[in-house]
Amino acid sequence: MAKNLPKTGLISWLTTVDHKRIGIMYAMSAMFFLLCGGIEALLIRTQLMLPNNDLVTANFYNGLVTMHGTTMIFLFVMPMSSAFFNFLTPLQIGAPDVAYPRLNALSFWVFLFGGILLNFGFVVGQVPNAGWFNYANLSGKIFSTDHSVDFWVLGVQVVGLASLIASINFFVTILNMRCKGMTLLKMPIFIWATLVTQVLLILALPVITIALVMMSLDRSFGTGFFEPTLGGSVVMWQHLFWIFGHPEVYILIVPAMGIVSEILPTFSRKPLFGYSVMVYSISAIGFLGFAVWAHHMFTTGMGPWATALFSAATMLIAVPTGVKIFNWISTLWGGQIRFTTANLFAISFICMFTLGGLSGIMHASPPIDYHHQDTYFVVAHFHYVLYGGAVMALFGGMFYWFPKFFGRHLSEPLGKVQFWLYMIGFNLTFFPMHFLGLQGMPRRNFTYAADQGWNLWNLMCTMGAYITALGAIVFAVNVVWSLLKGKRAKNDPWDARTLEWTLASPPPEYNFSVNPVVTQLDDFWHKKYPNGKRLAEDLIPYQKEVDPSTMHVPNQSFWPMFLALGIVTIASSFFFGGHGLAVALAGATVLLVSAYGWAYEEP
Amino acid sequence: MKKPAIFSFLLSLSGLALASKSFDEKPYTLSASLSDAPMYTLVGITDWGADILRVYGITTVVIVFVFLTVALPTLYALWRFRAKGDETELPKQFTGNHVLELIWTILPVMLLFIIAIPTWEVIFKQSNRAGDPKNFHVNVIGHQWWWEFQYPDYGVTTANELHLPENTPIDFTITSADVIHSFYVPRFGGKIDAIPGVFNHIYVTTPKVMVPNKLGGDFYQGHCLELCGQSHALMRFEAFVHTKQEFDVWAKNAMNPPQVLSAQEKRGEAVFAQCQACHTIAGTDSAKIPGKKLGPDLTNFGNRRYLGATTRENTLENIRLWIKNSSQIKPGSRMTSFEGILSDQQIDDVASYVRISTAKKLK
Repeated sequence: MAKNLPKTGLISWLTTVDHKRIGIMYAMSAMFFLLCGGIEALLIRTQLMLPNNDLVTANFYNGLVTMHGTTMIFLFVMPMSSAFFNFLTPLQIGAPDVAYPRLNALSFWVFLFGGILLNFGFVVGQVPNAGWFNYANLSGKIFSTDHSVDFWVLGVQVVGLASLIASINFFVTILNMRCKGMTLLKMPIFIWATLVTQVLLILALPVITIALVMMSLDRSFGTGFFEPTLGGSVVMWQHLFWIFGHPEVYILIVPAMGIVSEILPTFSRKPLFGYSVMVYSISAIGFLGFAVWAHHMFTTGMGPWATALFSAATMLIAVPTGVKIFNWISTLWGGQIRFTTANLFAISFICMFTLGGLSGIMHASPPIDYHHQDTYFVVAHFHYVLYGGAVMALFGGMFYWFPKFFGRHLSEPLGKVQFWLYMIGFNLTFFPMHFLGLQGMPRRNFTYAADQGWNLWNLMCTMGAYITALGAIVFAVNVVWSLLKGKRAKNDPWDARTLEWTLASPPPEYNFSVNPVVTQLDDFWHKKYPNGKRLAEDLIPYQKEVDPSTMHVPNQSFWPMFLALGIVTIASSFFFGGHGLAVALAGATVLLVSAYGWAYEEP
Repeated sequence: MKKPAIFSFLLSLSGLALASKSFDEKPYTLSASLSDAPMYTLVGITDWGADILRVYGITTVVIVFVFLTVALPTLYALWRFRAKGDETELPKQFTGNHVLELIWTILPVMLLFIIAIPTWEVIFKQSNRAGDPKNFHVNVIGHQWWWEFQYPDYGVTTANELHLPENTPIDFTITSADVIHSFYVPRFGGKIDAIPGVFNHIYVTTPKVMVPNKLGGDFYQGHCLELCGQSHALMRFEAFVHTKQEFDVWAKNAMNPPQVLSAQEKRGEAVFAQCQACHTIAGTDSAKIPGKKLGPDLTNFGNRRYLGATTRENTLENIRLWIKNSSQIKPGSRMTSFEGILSDQQIDDVASYVRISTAKKLK
């Protein structure tokens, strides 16, 4: 069935194995889930705008905070990063596609269906509500009697599977499919960030997978791993969750660091300052990221030695992070800085991420954390890192690579309007949260009394959230308008440094018609500027007129989507009570048939 | 809102300045302004609280320094090196500088030691206080969504009001009866989780009584800080510090059996038989029922300021509403709604019993 599938239209998207199209589908799904998470955030802020507000019930509020966190992390930042991995990895390393194109399609479909399963609680009125880290034993069967937590456990399980599949694919792709001459230390810095992220995923995801299996057994089959009345330990869940959860933080931020490290040199017209040190520090952050999980647990009473040592390890992470920040500033230093929207977002990343990092150093000290833990200070901290940091960088990446994705530029004036709405809205929302934290306001409170001194700051936070929402609307308008009417993009509109800019915008399905050969870091730039002077005409080294039918591209296939459907059917069987086994078997059948079809299909 | 929140903001800044001073000699006076921010974290009235704030002050100085060393060069670079549009040459192409990179690797390590050393000092100082024979013991047990306090040396059990003698080293033993909670009185210092099956400790020395009031002591707000289900936001409590004599009076009253005087209270006492599966009042039949009870101990309940873990004022009207349907006041409340089970008359009677009969004090 793989042959003669259409190259355009709906079927072509459902069956595609082209990394660029999968990247676009990742981006579109991520934007949809951003909308969901954003609406949840607005509801949270509207509820907290005034003291003693009763816009939503306590239970639904807990559902909103749980799903806002889960959605933004697993269904927006991770897949949006995946969109960039997908689109850019083969292009930046000079490869025709990823190593396993159908596996790549599988990971997308598993992610999409998993995301829908995770959100299905809203449809049936059982919204996961035990917090995004789903602490046992509140998430156990005794205290969460309906299926709300099951949607979270199985949804995250499926989404995690998608990330695991993708991570192995990109790991193999980067190590095996680089073009001639591209040794490891000549790879673009974004590819290094991608590689480190895949290693983190490969090492961290099995931990959460096992923890979720144990949680599922507890909830569906009556075991007691995390239930103290059955001899289980609630603290064990926290350890398992954060052994995954802290590397997860770096899984979110490292791709953003990679994006920023590509944007800043381009718009400073200078090479990245200290490339090799950037590579080492990104690897050091990834490595140390596995040694600090218990700093999320300083208040659980781990004893003085564990507390002191995890505190020291946490502080140590500030060192490679600081090195990166100073290297980014040095990249700007002495350059010719162009303030395009992409660059504005990248610069705001440095500023916001630094602020988040500084408050992070504060609660790396356990005595300070005894105050900050679970107050709004922590909420301010991680939004500065993940929103001001990761999300701002992702928007920078969207403005930077949109022309390459779609062949048209996003509107710069609209982009700048959005940028300033985001900057003002973001800081108005999250800077006052530091003050709320100092005033001891607990996070995840569905309401608060009027006499706590929290009223004005909460009102400001809510205003900020609405300003950000305006920015999001501007972005949506910008995307639609630009796709239809935006300025046509040239091959290399930003005068950039990496291989994807040697191709047409958007690139042809087969990517390179001439196999690239590189001799140094930023090889394309050095070819454009052989003696520090730009060549008179545009350089198109890896593209020539070819008959597209002679270029080898992998065949399209329905099987990845069907196989993903089988997986998510098995995962959803918890919901069907006595028929659960039948549903699981039906899902397993679909899975096996798809795997068989996949195996014997002409690749 | 009596005072604008900008006032609280200035307060937080002044708090940062205060935090760098030594808190050892005398604790800060609970000024009237602080009643606008009862959970404010930057005032510590115990020795532990003062230790934490000293680390806080040092750390704040370090990170403000780091902030400036990042922000100033960034702003300068953005202004100085902006593209002017008329460049014909490439800027100088430099790819790194190992000396500089070494400097901004080593310098942060040194700065981190400034934070780390006092941090470790405070951590070990806490744990070294375990097992001190002078410690005054209080057991703290978190429940969905209220607090139980036990005084094993006094045989006292109470709920949602934590009473402590002044100038005494306290050893809080903290655990939970159901899910994870977190025990936090910001003025005392940090928080620690109340975890089922785990016994955590906090050691603080209470301050001298500073602002004697009609309750005979200083009171401070506490709150659960770990998401523990629907009414997590409504799981508060009050901590009181008394002079030693006043504390002894309180402890005696705390186990004082109710004195049933009026006819209505007598009728209420009879209705209370339906409550004693979950609630205990010392010196009555309810105390003879063995086993762990679901609801808070109501001995001396009449003398508490609030009901429902600092959710509503402790008035007859609020008690009646609570008995009728407590989940209207506190979402998810575990207590049965007695509307329709008890008549309005019975609810009135039992309300006056738990409110009035338990409020009689020994003198």
